[in-house]
Amino acid sequence: MNEKIRYRGRIAQTFIYLGKLLRMFVYQSDWKVLPMGAVITAVVTLVVGTYLFVTQEGTLTGTFALTCVCIWNGFFNSIQSVCRERSIVKREHRAGLHVSAYVAAQMLYQLLLCLAQTVITLIIFRLTGVKMPVVGIITPWGVVDLGITILLVTYASDMMALMISCLVRTTTTAMTVMPFMLIFQLVFSGTFFTLEGFASKLSDLTISKWGLNSMCAIGRYNEQPMVTLWNTIFKFKDVDVFGQKPLLEIIQLAEKEGYRDQFLLWSGSYNQNDAFVSTAGNLLRCWGNIALMLVVCVSVAVIALKFIDRDKR
Amino acid sequence: MDWENTSHFLSSLLFWVPWILFSLGLWLLSSKLDWKRRWLAWIPGLRYAAFGHALDLDRDGVICGALEVLFLPAGVLDASDFSNRAIMALFLLTLVLQIIVFIYRIRLFLRLVLLFGVKKRWVILWIFCKWLPLLILALGKRYQPLEGIKFGEDWEAGTKPAEHTGAAANRPEMSDSGLSVDLRERVARDFLKKRYLLQDISLDIPNGSLVMLLGGSGSGKTTFVNALIGYEKADADIRLNGRDVYKDYDQVKYRIGFVPQQNLIRGNDTVKRTVSDAALMRMDASLSSADREKKVADVMDLLGLTAGCDGLVAKKSGGQLRRISIAMELVADLELFVLDEPDSGLDGVIAREIFTKLRAIADEGKIVIVITHTPDRVVDLFDKVIVLARNKSRVGQLAFYGSPAEARAFFGKDTMEGIVMSINRKEEGGEGRADELIQRFSLRNAAGEEKARAAL
Repeated sequence: MNEKIRYRGRIAQTFIYLGKLLRMFVYQSDWKVLPMGAVITAVVTLVVGTYLFVTQEGTLTGTFALTCVCIWNGFFNSIQSVCRERSIVKREHRAGLHVSAYVAAQMLYQLLLCLAQTVITLIIFRLTGVKMPVVGIITPWGVVDLGITILLVTYASDMMALMISCLVRTTTTAMTVMPFMLIFQLVFSGTFFTLEGFASKLSDLTISKWGLNSMCAIGRYNEQPMVTLWNTIFKFKDVDVFGQKPLLEIIQLAEKEGYRDQFLLWSGSYNQNDAFVSTAGNLLRCWGNIALMLVVCVSVAVIALKFIDRDKR
Repeated sequence: MDWENTSHFLSSLLFWVPWILFSLGLWLLSSKLDWKRRWLAWIPGLRYAAFGHALDLDRDGVICGALEVLFLPAGVLDASDFSNRAIMALFLLTLVLQIIVFIYRIRLFLRLVLLFGVKKRWVILWIFCKWLPLLILALGKRYQPLEGIKFGEDWEAGTKPAEHTGAAANRPEMSDSGLSVDLRERVARDFLKKRYLLQDISLDIPNGSLVMLLGGSGSGKTTFVNALIGYEKADADIRLNGRDVYKDYDQVKYRIGFVPQQNLIRGNDTVKRTVSDAALMRMDASLSSADREKKVADVMDLLGLTAGCDGLVAKKSGGQLRRISIAMELVADLELFVLDEPDSGLDGVIAREIFTKLRAIADEGKIVIVITHTPDRVVDLFDKVIVLARNKSRVGQLAFYGSPAEARAFFGKDTMEGIVMSINRKEEGGEGRADELIQRFSLRNAAGEEKARAAL
């Protein structure tokens, strides 16, 4: 017995657990997250898809909704994945399981899930007639850039939920924490709520902000027309000035002479946002920040799970 | 004196007078609480820690104390300056912490109410004016702590070490064969308290033994098993076939199987894959897949799991789940196999069947240690019995180790359940003979049974 026996290391264990997770994908009905994600994407696309990547307002609303869908999907993929089998993991850790191998298996499995969800999202975009960005910033194809962003946002959210799942001990706690994380991501995305000072700095820590910035950059937000100003003027078309309706006359003239689109582009040029600039540097910076958060979440997950032996009986 | 100064003076008075009265109340009460360092009643933070310690609520006391210290700088905040967001945030944080500390303080006072045997409605008085009930309890001669009150099971359990039985000193050289245990003590930190969980357990178990581990609730059976298998280390020397379990844990752990009380198995995987994955994880990586598959097949065959092995674990019965749980450990090349209540929740027939399998496993040369609460229906299958008991300090000690027949003779009982009853405390319906039996067994070990009888 004194000879040193070689047991399976981290890499081999990772693939043993990946196989286990893939089998459970079938037996445990984990596959249900795919149609669920598809339904959510379809609903959101039907509501905000018409003007997505068409106008600045449509792009902002649509990419925000799309970011929310990605975060939602990511969170739901893994929020319960570790805590629901925590006592089993504790037993297996006692019997020689490496925590890093277990988390790595979860990462690979979740990556496959997120990849499938990304493909489904893009297919639904195509089926519902969303106007996709044609030219990419990093790759030659806009749809590939968008796919990478969707995957990154979904995967980073997934890893954040995995981290929570490793930190908490029960599924009840995990499901209690999740809405707070979700609200934090939405409120601090910096889109619909004006954030200043410390709150603005806090938004740098959200996946939603960098995901939204990436999508707006890929959708070439700064080159799109802005319709808000035109619509506002249109609302005032019947204003009477000394018996005349000058705004209505201007609107009619602009539409007749074809100046409307020029006006929309002109007003859009005054509504550009530096965070959405369509350059490779900006997009890589956004992706890098998301990837950094992903790495932090995974590291915390591994460290948290290392202490699993301290769980009380 | 202008209005501003008067207001400042009054607010200071409102802060300091209750503070001093509360400290005074604690200081006076400390003599009734057998509180040694009475001056701590006047130190912010520490006074709550000491108060909590006196009431066996260390954690609550320390939290209250820490938050009290935290609130001291918060007192200088100008809460009206809400234009400053940082101050507002700090103010809100203080408010949240105040709510938390309020709850913890109520917990402390409820314990005090229990100790003095007064009505719980005193808490209302405490909420509005916390120094007043303290002063009343401290000064009122009719208010005295109730005699013999114990706060739950853990009041002073294991806080004092037992007298050493000398088992470690008397034990022979550790054997290079089988399992040798020389556990001096197993201590745990329970916040500020040091608790002795186990002391003086020395025994040698030969290979091929099926050993029953008996003891009342809380006698330290699972703690002992965890120390034995190296999962929770104790101050001990534990050798398994000559190898130090603690020093070589990374290697030896693959030779030790532990089946927990609950069926900790993933339900949504097939039985076969569950066992074969366990084999992949726990068997020598250099073994060929054919050898591994053969081992898996043998174990599944031994435990009667071959039929329906492609079915999902979740669909299996309680008895089958126990057998799967055992198979997951047994596929490893084990030398020591420990099972925590493998018959829990099973009927007599299935339980007997599982123990028969364990007997067969032991007969292969392995050491099998089983914790069970229904020993008599299977005791005939066992070679040895370990009896753990809690002494008067509530520390787990060895009350007996030997064959079932020797155990019956030693305890003067016909059944294993009778043995457990003899060591259980009287409050638990037992005979409360733990201390006597621990001492007697220790003496028997040291000087032989004849000498022990003479000494007693």
